[in-house]
Amino acid sequence: MTTIVGIKTNEGVVLGSDKRASKGFFIGSKITQKITKIDDTLAVAIAGQLSDAEYLIKVSKAERKLIELRRGFPLTVKESARLIANLAYSGMKNYQPYFVELLVAGVDQDGGHIYAADMSGAITSEDFASSGSGSPIAYGVLESTYHKEITNEEAKQIATKAVSAAMERDPGSGNGIDVLVIPNLVMEVAR
Amino acid sequence: MVLVDSALEAVKRGSTTIGIKTPAFAMLASHIKPVRPLIDPAEKIFTIDGHVGATGSGYIGDILQLIEELRLEAQKHKLNFESPIDVGSLAKHLGSFLHNYTIYAVRPQAASVIVAGIDQTGLQLYQVDPSGTFMRGSGFAIGQSSDIALDVVQREYSGDMSIEQAVALSNKAIEKALGERPVVEIGVVEAQDGQFQKLH
Repeated sequence: MTTIVGIKTNEGVVLGSDKRASKGFFIGSKITQKITKIDDTLAVAIAGQLSDAEYLIKVSKAERKLIELRRGFPLTVKESARLIANLAYSGMKNYQPYFVELLVAGVDQDGGHIYAADMSGAITSEDFASSGSGSPIAYGVLESTYHKEITNEEAKQIATKAVSAAMERDPGSGNGIDVLVIPNLVMEVAR
Repeated sequence: MVLVDSALEAVKRGSTTIGIKTPAFAMLASHIKPVRPLIDPAEKIFTIDGHVGATGSGYIGDILQLIEELRLEAQKHKLNFESPIDVGSLAKHLGSFLHNYTIYAVRPQAASVIVAGIDQTGLQLYQVDPSGTFMRGSGFAIGQSSDIALDVVQREYSGDMSIEQAVALSNKAIEKALGERPVVEIGVVEAQDGQFQKLH
């Protein structure tokens, strides 16, 4: 259940989600936060088992901070996505997989990046991506409206449109929309 | 710390080895000790990963074990983060690996290592000692008469040297330290292509 979308722009990245948490045919919560900030430059959108995702995010948050402190500069978005995907894959070995599909979105020195990560351990870099039961519907909107020169403001509108379209027809998604914009890093003037 | 001191003493008797870094490249130069004509000299410049190289001075067996440790750590980072490891993390890892030997009554690794490479923060040059101490800098010398060699490097170092000039400088420094014309093995990583290469 769920609809999440992520869009890469020239100005950063945008994440969107609905707010419904399903318990079978019952709506368990109408105000679920499915977009979690790891820090100011990285966020994860969650589709799947919320408990599994919460755990993965908690661990990867700590791991990412630790590496940053140790080596003196933060992980890139790709490095973070690889870290999270490895963690998600680690459950497979014990036959207790983490039932999640995550969109890892963030900005680094090279600009904005969107990665789709799941328990298979694979990460794919995308211009835009969607996950969850509403994703086929959201993809319809994304495919027809996304273009390369998109701005953050435009991406925000498209993300909202994609999630709301999914909410109209997917019973697993609904109860409102969350959107998060992460703008590109402001480059320091070379010293 | 008697054991660490004797390890440092063993390094002092090792082959003279130099590391030089400028904004354009980082270079490693290691003196190959003259051996008998029928015996091939041991390899002294090691590729750690595509973007990092290292050399050492001290017991060759100990150097090789430290090189292996560096290579392992570089590949581990690749598995975990799908990116080449930064040189600082390598130096830090080697530092803590060596430090581990100093807290037990075991024989410390009698080898100092110089690591040269490039990462997201640019060119890097590090020296790591048997005590676990690691230093970042632009010019290092370890091994036999390294203080004399380092004096020469310090005196004639310039940020706009070419690779050829740096090779000549390290040759000169090693020659001054040993009082003989040395056979030297060279490894370089350039900022331009980001690849560590052995020159000769």
